[in-house]
Amino acid sequence: MRSLPAERTARAQRLIVVSLIALLLGFLLVVQLRSQALVAQNLASQDNTSVALLINDLNRANTQLLEQSVTLEQREAALRQALATGGADAKAIEKELTVFKAVAGELPVHGSGLEIRIEGPVQDFEVQDALNNLRNAGGEAFALNGYRIVSGTPIMSRGDRLMVAGHVVAAPYVLQAIGDPEQLQMAADLSTSSLQTRVQVSVVRKTDLAITSVLEPRPLVYAQLGS
Amino acid sequence: MRSALIRLHGTVPPRVSLLASVSLATFLVALLAATQFRSQPLPPSNRFARNQALTQSVNELEAQNRRLKSQVQSLQASVKTLEDDSAQRSSSAQQANALLDTQKTVVGLLGLHGPGITITLHDGNDPNDPSDHSLGWVVHYQDLQDIVNLLWASGAEAISVNQQRVVPTTSFFYAGVNVLVNNATRLSGPYTITALGDPPSLESGVKDPDQLSELKSRSRIYGLGLAWQRSNSLRVPGYDASFVLRYAQPAG
Repeated sequence: MRSLPAERTARAQRLIVVSLIALLLGFLLVVQLRSQALVAQNLASQDNTSVALLINDLNRANTQLLEQSVTLEQREAALRQALATGGADAKAIEKELTVFKAVAGELPVHGSGLEIRIEGPVQDFEVQDALNNLRNAGGEAFALNGYRIVSGTPIMSRGDRLMVAGHVVAAPYVLQAIGDPEQLQMAADLSTSSLQTRVQVSVVRKTDLAITSVLEPRPLVYAQLGS
Repeated sequence: MRSALIRLHGTVPPRVSLLASVSLATFLVALLAATQFRSQPLPPSNRFARNQALTQSVNELEAQNRRLKSQVQSLQASVKTLEDDSAQRSSSAQQANALLDTQKTVVGLLGLHGPGITITLHDGNDPNDPSDHSLGWVVHYQDLQDIVNLLWASGAEAISVNQQRVVPTTSFFYAGVNVLVNNATRLSGPYTITALGDPPSLESGVKDPDQLSELKSRSRIYGLGLAWQRSNSLRVPGYDASFVLRYAQPAG
């Protein structure tokens, strides 16, 4: 039989041990929670810029889609009205046809935009990058040294020169783009900043730029309608 | 014996009860103390909550994007029906409508099928080498752009990337780490590029050692996936939106 003081001491020791274990468990639990939060925080810090940029692009895209929607509603209303009065609105159809032909590069177009002049040799990917950036900035029509370009126009390097849809072009290169001059200017500055370290480049805004060259539609040989 | 029986039936001795109470109290105090400790290193900007808000905005905008595309497609179908009806009313409308149908194929609004080639591309392995800042193991939007350009040059008649049709207005770009195409549609790997055309011509373009040389080199170094396969039966979808010109006015 143990004495009373000895029993008290033993009880106090047990209490201390249990308290320490509980203290440790509490800290471990929260440290675990904390590290999970920090992981999420790290992901958040990595993603915030990307997400913000994505939001910006989505806003822009949705505005464009809304614009397309409004245009189609107007076209629908015009066609419906003509049919209701017993006629047919051929002009509404022709208007749509004109837009598609211009988009495909089959019609001469004019409008505000800018002209980039490159005084020395460039690589194909540099021109493709520039076109990609300008298209992303809302560029609607392009020509390089007088040759009309759409996204399907191949541009390949041939030594110091470029082949644009099979046509050889050489410096100085003049790239014309129709669209919002302000937006195009930002894209042009981005594209030409690296070029300017080795060749002379100038970017000039135009209030009315004419792109007169056109593309012939390529007949489909292998592809057939239906998906 | 009685005392033992009572314990077995649920009566807790005072010593155990005291121990439990002290443990619980200590645990709670520790929890509170550690919670306080946890809250201190959090930055005042609360980036986590901000990211959640941004992510929610993306989800909402992408849902809106899908709704708008669906609305555009629905309107296109309605307009098409009305155009076909109009074509039965007048010869000029009929003529314009026939040309319009052809032009829709040219600009990529209609789905196509035929022989061609499929190229697949995926990220390679991160070498975890602090001196390697190239990110050469990652597929970049420029890689997709280069492949698409090469396929056009090799005679492709229609191309899609991850089921997104490449149309005259298509551009590939980054929004941070996201690869975007056609009205801010997010693309993620593995990437599948489908091109309709003469399979041998398309394949010889891709196989040409002078073409995509940098991409092929990264494939060897980092294990970045680059493979292609010829096929006699492939499909590319039509563009899921429409075209509006705001600046380029047809001349004449």
